[in-house]
Amino acid sequence: MINVQNLSKVFNKDGAEVRVLNDISVIIEEGEFVSIMAPSGMGKSTFLNILGCLDKPSDGIYMLDDVPVQGMDDDELSQIRNRKIGYVFQSFHLLPRMTAWENVILPLIYSDDDSDMKEKAIKALESVGLGDRINHLPRELSGGQQQRVAIARALINNPRIIFADEPTGNLDSNSSAEVMNIFRNLHAQGRTLVVVTHDPDVGALADRIIEMKDGHISSDRPTNIGPKESVQ
Amino acid sequence: MRILRMASQALQAMNDNKVRSFLMMLGVIIGVATLTIISSSVMGARSQVMSRVERFGLDQFMVMAGAGRKPGVPQPTPTTLKVEDTNAILSEVSNVKDVTPQINRRDIPVKYQNKNSYAVMVATNPNWSEIWNTQAENGRFFNDTEVSRLSRVAVIGQTLVNDLFEGEDPVGKQISVANNPFEILGVLEKKGASPTGLDLDSRIIIPLTTGMKRVFNQDYITNIKIVVNDTSRMNDTVNDVKMLLRERHNLAPGVEDDFTIVTPTLVMALASKVSSTFNIFLILISLVSLVVGAVVIANIMFISVNERRAEIGIRRAVGATKKDILSQFLIESVTVSALGGITGGILGLVALKLLSTFTKMQSGAILIPIILAVICAVIVGLLAGIQPARKAANLDPIEALK
Repeated sequence: MINVQNLSKVFNKDGAEVRVLNDISVIIEEGEFVSIMAPSGMGKSTFLNILGCLDKPSDGIYMLDDVPVQGMDDDELSQIRNRKIGYVFQSFHLLPRMTAWENVILPLIYSDDDSDMKEKAIKALESVGLGDRINHLPRELSGGQQQRVAIARALINNPRIIFADEPTGNLDSNSSAEVMNIFRNLHAQGRTLVVVTHDPDVGALADRIIEMKDGHISSDRPTNIGPKESVQ
Repeated sequence: MRILRMASQALQAMNDNKVRSFLMMLGVIIGVATLTIISSSVMGARSQVMSRVERFGLDQFMVMAGAGRKPGVPQPTPTTLKVEDTNAILSEVSNVKDVTPQINRRDIPVKYQNKNSYAVMVATNPNWSEIWNTQAENGRFFNDTEVSRLSRVAVIGQTLVNDLFEGEDPVGKQISVANNPFEILGVLEKKGASPTGLDLDSRIIIPLTTGMKRVFNQDYITNIKIVVNDTSRMNDTVNDVKMLLRERHNLAPGVEDDFTIVTPTLVMALASKVSSTFNIFLILISLVSLVVGAVVIANIMFISVNERRAEIGIRRAVGATKKDILSQFLIESVTVSALGGITGGILGLVALKLLSTFTKMQSGAILIPIILAVICAVIVGLLAGIQPARKAANLDPIEALK
């Protein structure tokens, strides 16, 4: 599903070139649950942003569903983000003035299917255990609940891939466990999950751990907890 | 519809920040309000001019006795324009179709039984009715026989009917006009006030001969209305009349006319002298406030784009294209501006209504100024919103989400 070959990303910082990603090649199959682990500042978020079609690589090939992403224009990339990808952020990124369900319908605004937006939002919120919080504003919800609203938003268009960037980074251990539990369920439904984290406990929940160091992959191995064998 | 969903998002954003939206509207409200006042009053003045000219008659012109008023110079009643001049114009000037002379006098006391009123007396010929387009709607106008007999007959206006008769039928009744008994032949159709504020319905029309010999005892007249055959030769005809009258009045070359000629063009020019400096001033105010309004909207939109970087990033991340972001911010600025335009338009019309009750200013149509105002406002909103919206659309989603 995801096929990355010789991918590099170079930033220009104060005139100096900073090579954040260096010659990365990796294949992630449909249905895999992969965690990308690295210390902060090692380019894992940049990598995830490129995979999530929010950023473009400086060099290399990124094939999503056997289609090269780099030649696409803004409309096509936006459509991929809208239909194929659900994104979960460390700091939730909910719109503060909108209620839970209004936040959840946001991807539907930009898709062609706008039937029963609220009904769909309620279903999505129920699936993350927030059926009784649909009219709450983000500030009226706990961190864990906000992140679950964000997950419901990521799921509303029924994407096949979920990208999560430090999804438990701002959460206490209980909320983290809830979120990770949801992720395991999504994985069980056959969705592809790629989670960036520096927390080994979170990383260990995945089937496969990719470790990054200095812009390239330093190790890529299956975890023993995972029910499936990962392929590389 | 995607655009409708985005419009509802934009409206929600405006609703979430009412104070900001109101501040954005303020300049547009002021600009559009003044613009509405101007356009409506200009249109009102124009239609007033046109109706005045139409009432005057495009195929007619008028010779008035006297050289015209000069400020500060006391004016004796001009006595040089005679009935004979009327006949000479009709017989000697080509292209003249018809003429009607008249004597006008204001403040003539009229009396019926124990009721009194004051009338404007017009002594003229039977063709006056046709030339001035004023019919007798009850009873009849006097005829040539009554003119040649110097009959004491009159046609009176509605105001006089109301003042003197209170529901009684005035036709056939005897009234006293300047202590002369007159029989009422008919009642004139209602005409309202003249442009100079004279109540046209307080007129009493009597035969010219009766007026000259029995009431005023004078051989001069106040004015002559002339109807031409061919309007395209109006200027030549006016000139011919002028030459004829100068000759008849023995005016040596260089001596000023002792009469004044009023043509439809002149009426139009006089009537359209709506203080144009005031209008230019108002147009400037409204342009300045529209420009200020646009600058205010643009600035607040820029601030708003900066404040909402995270929102823009989120929307981009869940699938909004650059065009979607651009549209959302443009919809916001145009909607704010259009709402300001509608508010300003309504305020302007309210102000016009107040003005027209205190002054004689005429206001024109309501719909066109409002449409004009909203179009102006939408243009302002588009112009003001395009740069901030482009900035928002071109934000790097990753930077925006940091």
